[in-house]
Amino acid sequence: MTLTTTTRNERMSGNGQPFPYRRILAGVSVGLICLLALCGPPPSSAAERVPKQVVKDLADHAVEILRNQSLPKDEKRTELEALAYANMDFQTLSRLVLARNWRRLSKAQQEEFVEEFKRHLSVTYGERINDYKNESVQVTGERQEPRGDYTVQTKILRGGPGDVEVDYRLRQRDNQWKIIDVTVEGVSLVANFRSQFQEIMANGGPDKLLRLLREKNERGEPLKS
Amino acid sequence: MQAARRGYGVTKQRRTAIIAFLAVALCLLPKPGTGQAETVSDPLQPLNRKIFWFNEKVDVYVLEPTARAYDHVVPDPVQTSVTNFFNNLYFLVNFTNSALQAKPTDAGRALVRFLLNTVGGMGGLFDPATSLGLPLKFEDVGQTLGYWGVPPGPYLVLPLLGPSNIRDAVGRAGDSALRVYPYFVPGYVSFGGTVLEVVDFRASLLGDIEGARKASLDYYIFVRDAYDQRRRALINDGTVSKEQEKELYDVDYDDSE
Repeated sequence: MTLTTTTRNERMSGNGQPFPYRRILAGVSVGLICLLALCGPPPSSAAERVPKQVVKDLADHAVEILRNQSLPKDEKRTELEALAYANMDFQTLSRLVLARNWRRLSKAQQEEFVEEFKRHLSVTYGERINDYKNESVQVTGERQEPRGDYTVQTKILRGGPGDVEVDYRLRQRDNQWKIIDVTVEGVSLVANFRSQFQEIMANGGPDKLLRLLREKNERGEPLKS
Repeated sequence: MQAARRGYGVTKQRRTAIIAFLAVALCLLPKPGTGQAETVSDPLQPLNRKIFWFNEKVDVYVLEPTARAYDHVVPDPVQTSVTNFFNNLYFLVNFTNSALQAKPTDAGRALVRFLLNTVGGMGGLFDPATSLGLPLKFEDVGQTLGYWGVPPGPYLVLPLLGPSNIRDAVGRAGDSALRVYPYFVPGYVSFGGTVLEVVDFRASLLGDIEGARKASLDYYIFVRDAYDQRRRALINDGTVSKEQEKELYDVDYDDSE
C-alpha cells in the first residue's frame, strides 16, 4: 500500500529523479527483518534489563535508601542488604575469590564459605552507612568483556576533589545480570580478597580460613533482625 | 681543596650506597618459576610486616587522631581547598612525567590545569579546571619507569611512608626533586606545608581506612594487594592484560595445569 502511494507521489512530483526502487526494497527488507526479530525469539522475561540499566537502577535505589532520612540505620542496612543480595552472584563471586583453592574445600565447606563471605561483606560494608555524605552515582560507560561479561563504569561524585571510579563486572546467570566483581579505582574486590585468602589457605588450609571468617563476622555487628 | 675533597667524599659515599642498594635489589629479584603470578613478590615479608605494624601504631596513636581533630575543626570547603592547593603544587611532577611517557595531551592538560587553577582558582585553592572538563591525573616517576617496562621488584613497606616497591621508592626520590617549591620557601614553611598536606590527606581517608581495616582478614595483604593493583592500573591507565583478565574471571582457570 505504502509502496504504491510513494510511487505515485514520486511520479507526480516529477523531479526527474529515477524512482528509488533499491532504497525502498532495502527499507522493506530491513523492516521485515525487524519484524521477524520481534516475532522470533520470545523475550525471555519482561524484567530482562541490559547491564547498564541494572547498575543504574541499583545505584539509584541505593542512593534513595541512603538519602531517606526517616529511615533508621538498621532498616537502611536491611534494605541495602536485600538490594545487594538481589543483584550479586555470591556463588560465582566465591568461586572467583577462592580460585584454585575452591576445590580444596569440601562441598559442605564451600556452602559455608559462600554464606560466611556474604555475611562478611554485609557486616563490613553495612557499618559504613554512616559515612554517606550525599554522594551521587553517575554511570559513565559500558564495555563488553570475554566470556559474555560486561563491565559497567560508574563514578561516585563526592562534590569535592576525588571522584571515585567504580567498575561493576556483570555476568548473566539464569537470564539475569548479576554483579561478580567491583573494582574501585583499579582495585578489584575479587583480586584483593583472593590474595588474602590465598595467604590464609597457604598457612592454615580451609579450616583456618572458615574459622577466621566466622570469628570476624561474630565480632562485627550482626544485623538485628 | 677541602671543598673538593668533601665533594669527592659525597660522590663516593653515594656511589657505594647506590651499589649496595642495587646489589640488595638484585638479590631480591624474584627467581623465575617461583611464586604465583597473582601474588606480589614479597621476599622481605617478615621485615615488611614489622615496619607495617610500626606504621600502624604511628597512625593509630598520632596521625589518625590528628586527622580526626582536623576533620572536626576544619569545615569541608576549607579542606577541599587545602587538597586543591597541594594537588596544584604537584603540577610539575604530573607535567614532566606525562611528557616522559610521551603523552602530549596529558602534559598539555597538566599545564593548562596549572595555569587555570593558579590564576582563576586563587593560587590553586579552587579547581575550576576540573569543572571545565580537565580532571586531575596523577603521574609520577614510578609510573614513568613502569610505563617503560621497569618491573616493580619486591614489595617494600617504607617507615612512615607506607607501601611501595623498589621501583616506586626510587621514583619517590625523583618526585620530591620535581616538587621544586621547597627550594623557594623557608624550611619551616615547607615542613609545615608537608604536615598540613599529610594530615589533610589522612583526613580525606578516615572512613576508607577504617572500613578497610574492618573488611580485611589480613590487613597487611589487603594493603599490599591494593597497592599493587592501584599502581598497575595507574601505569596501564586502566587497561588489563588478557591473561590477567582470564586468571581473574574464568571460574575454571587453573595455572597449575
